[in-house]
Parts: sequence; C-alpha cells; structure tokens
Amino acid sequence: MDIEQRRRERLDRGIKIRSDGLYALMSWRELSYLTLPRLVLIVGILIAPLVMPSMYWQRVISIVCIYALLSLSFDLLAHFVGLVSLGGAFFIGVGGYTTAILNTQLGLPPLLSIPLATVIGAIICTLFLLPCLPLRGVYFAIITLMYPLLLIRVIEALDILGGTDGIVGIASFDNRWVEQYFIILMVLLFLFGIRRLVNLDIGLVFRAVKDNDQAVRASGMSITYYKTIAVFIASAMGCLGGAYLAHLYMWAGLSSFALDFSILPIAATVIGGAGTLVGPVLGAFILVPISELLRAFGTLRITFYALILLGFIVFRSEGIMVYGQRKYHQFEKWVKV
Amino acid sequence: MLEAKGLMVFYENMLALNNVSIKCAENQIVGVFGANSAGKSTLMYTLSGIIEDIRKKEEMAGGERISVLGKIQYLGQDITDVKPSRRAKRGIVLCPERRRIFKECSVIENLRIGGYLASPSQANETLEYVFRVFPALEKLKKRVGGFLSGGEQQMLAIGRALMAQPKLLLLDEPLLGLSPLVQALLVRATREIRDEKGISIIVTEQYARPVLPIVDYAFILENGAAVLEGTHDELMNNPDVRSAYFGI
Repeated sequence: MDIEQRRRERLDRGIKIRSDGLYALMSWRELSYLTLPRLVLIVGILIAPLVMPSMYWQRVISIVCIYALLSLSFDLLAHFVGLVSLGGAFFIGVGGYTTAILNTQLGLPPLLSIPLATVIGAIICTLFLLPCLPLRGVYFAIITLMYPLLLIRVIEALDILGGTDGIVGIASFDNRWVEQYFIILMVLLFLFGIRRLVNLDIGLVFRAVKDNDQAVRASGMSITYYKTIAVFIASAMGCLGGAYLAHLYMWAGLSSFALDFSILPIAATVIGGAGTLVGPVLGAFILVPISELLRAFGTLRITFYALILLGFIVFRSEGIMVYGQRKYHQFEKWVKV
Repeated sequence: MLEAKGLMVFYENMLALNNVSIKCAENQIVGVFGANSAGKSTLMYTLSGIIEDIRKKEEMAGGERISVLGKIQYLGQDITDVKPSRRAKRGIVLCPERRRIFKECSVIENLRIGGYLASPSQANETLEYVFRVFPALEKLKKRVGGFLSGGEQQMLAIGRALMAQPKLLLLDEPLLGLSPLVQALLVRATREIRDEKGISIIVTEQYARPVLPIVDYAFILENGAAVLEGTHDELMNNPDVRSAYFGI
C-alpha cells in the first residue's frame, strides 16, 4: 500500500494485568489500583449526607438510595437473567403496604418491620410473578407493569388498606442518622453482594438463562427455579426500598405504586451502563438529584430532563461505567498497520 | 466487476483479514475457501458493507473496536465508504451465513420482503424465476419460514437475495449443514443463476469439493490471509490444495 494506514490500538494497562493475579497483594500501587475505585465509591456514598447543605438534600439522598436499589434490581433481572422488569412500582408498593401493616397492626419497630417486610414482600411479589416465569419475551414486563395498576384500583374500589387515604401513622426512625445510614448501608451491602452473586456458580446459570434458556434446560436445570430465585432477590431489594420509604414518609398510600418507580431505574441503568451493577447505582445518584435541581424550572422540568437523557443516549449510549472502566483498565495508541 | 485491494479487518487487536485482495469479473463464479476462522465471513461482511453496521453497533455498546482498511472498487467506482443499504441498491447482495430468513414470515412474504428494491414487474418476474429454479419452494408458498427444513431455508435465502436484483451475489456458506443431495441441487442452481441471469457470484465454503466444479476462479484463505489463488484447473492440480480442501 502506498498510503500509510494507521489504526488505534487498545491494550490493557500493565498494572491491570499485574493486579489480576495474587501478586497484587505485594505492592501498594497495585493494591490501590484495585481498591481505590471501590473506596472512592464507598466513602463517597458514606459522606454524601454529611456534606449536604440541608435536611432537604439529605432526604434526597435517601430517595436516591431507594432508586439505586430499584436500578440494581432492574439491572440484575434485565442484564443477568434476561427478564425485563417494569416492576419497580409493584415492589415498592408491596413492600410499603407490608411494612405498614406490620408496624401499625402488630406494633413492630421499624428496624424489625423493614427486614420482615422485605422478606414477606419478596415472597408475595415472587408468588404473583410466578405464572409468567417459565415464558420468555414480553410477558414478564407486561405483568410487572400491570400489577401496580391493578392493585391501585383494587385498593380504591374495595376501600381496603386505608383506601385512597393510605395507611397513616407508621412509626418513623428514632434517630435521623440511623434513618439516613440504614439505607446507605443497605445499598452498599446489596451492591457488593449482587456483584459477588453474579460471579458465583448460580450467577453463571443466571447468565446462561439469559443467553439461551433452551440450552440450560437441556443441561438438566429448571429455568423456572433459577428465575424464581432471581426474582426473589430483585423483589427483595425493591420491597426493602418500599418499606423504607413508608417509614420515611410515615405513610403508605397509592402513590407507592407510581410509575416513576418503574421507569426511572431503566433510565438510570441506561445512563450508568447496563450490566455493570455499579453503573445503575451511579445513574440513580446522577438522575434523581438532577431531577430535583430542575424543579427550579417548574413545568419545563420534564423537558430538560428528557433532553439530558437524550444527550446521554446519543453521545454515551454505552453508559458511564462501561466507558469509565475501559478508560481505567485500557489505554489506546495509534499504530501503523 | 468487483475488486478489493489490501483489505484488513481488525476485531480489536485480532487480525481477521490480513491484506486480502480479491477480484471477481463479470459473469464469473468465484470461490473463497478456508477453514473456520479463516476470515470467510468477515470477507463477506466487508464486501457487502455489513461490517460497518457491526462496527457501529459495537461502538454504541462500548464493545470491541473494529477497524476496516483497504479499498473496494465496484463497477469502476470506489465503494469503500458506501453504506450497506446503498451497496445493495447498486447490486451487491449478501445471502448471509446460516440463512437468517425471516422466521415468522411465510415463504412468499420472505421473498416479497427481499424484493423491496425491485419494481413490481421485476419482482413478479424474479418470483417466477425463483420458483422455477427452486420448484420445492412453490409448494411451500404459505409455509412459515421457521418450519422449513435446512435445505428449503437455504433455497429461500438464495431466492430472497435474488429478489433484490443483484448484479453480484455473495453466498456465505450456502451448503452449511446440508445433505449431499441438497448440496448438489444448490450447486446446480447456483450455476443456473449465473448462466441465465448473468449474475456474478462469490461463494464461500469450507469444503471445496461440491462447489469446485462450477467455480471459475478461487481464493484460499488461511488465518485471514489469501495464501493461494488460481483458476479451477490450477488449484485442482496443486497437491496441497487437493488434500487439504478437496479431500482427494
């Protein structure tokens, strides 16, 4: 060829390769290469409430954490098990009403009723979703979207569970800092827990179910069983958020089934980077505060919100985390062909 | 008719095509032979332009970076940067590997979709022609594509490609997983298409023996590089080629 041709080569950084092995433990530089990003995330989330200027913004952090849990559950289901879930609202609502009943009827304190509501709510959600689990395709998305709409009407029409007023008089946390850090610790716990889970054997089966469920069946495993486990874990995260929300507002009502809880996690996942698990949490930490900041624009808020989302999808469709990880682990250079 | 010079394709840092130059003259059947991972499919994607589409999707998803280098000349024009849809309009039509027919459409619908670029009269004419070349398809007109047998699906895929009024037809492993009888039928049909319609054809295959009789000129790919080329007779007389690719 007479003209010189070049292409950009992408290579793993040396430090990444070195720190892949056990030798990483022998040098501070490689140790910090491994742990620094995680530390930044953990410390960043932990000190976030401390640096917030007002009670209002501390409350926003709590809401962000709820959305982070929902995004995590969406990412787990959509990108590791292959179930597109629009069930955020369903999980939040079930969790909220369960904890409300446990708290007001049985008088359990928040720190007991929330874990109980998480487990009971997750069982309820899983049982509700069980019929569509053996199938693949849009069924799961539709069912998860329909349940909250259905439950709203049922509660309204039968005037049960407080009817349109919702259940009031739910106990709040005794301490403001307990309230704040409970949910933050839960987000971190679930984030690192799920990251671990998807790399265990069961996580591999989850991914196999996503890729080719027929092959999984042919290997002698029941896809319904594995999907049930995944849905249980994901709905537990959602119900935890819902239960916490009920105690935060001291109220569980029909707005727990709001569609926001289903849609925003998807947006957060797209922005953060699908299938990275950290990305969706980060996406929630970006999107929810932005949405709060835009309140200044009044009715134009949704317009700006949509524009920001659009910008992300057009210019960074891979997601922040995918981009960030690539930049962190790899470098590029021009090479002659 | 088609001339590609110095094609190089990288999937990230893996070299899939290494400086491959390939030529196809008017009204010729050109064979491209090679083992798995020799780069046959990549070559087909590059010639048809589908590689641009793959590259864009990978880039959007933050996956592998695909670099394509080299020049492709078609009918005297440089089409290196032409989009796959425009290439199809100019007459380079790919019949992809593993058929990729529209599984939920019936046979006739599949063919009609393929005829999107053709005028109604051309489409009807080609439809008749397809049914003449592949009489088996006519009886299955209303059958849903996904329920056809492998051989019928391959006939349908070739028929669909023909409906787009190709001047240059790219057949990517048309004999994949078919019985010798069906293979012979398809090979015969391929020659018929060339003879009657005057369409140039580039066909890739792993096992050269069934296709070789109809091939005018052939290239042999190994690990992404074109190691040998020649006319039918030249290759037949090369002992290495005979043992490796023709099993004689």
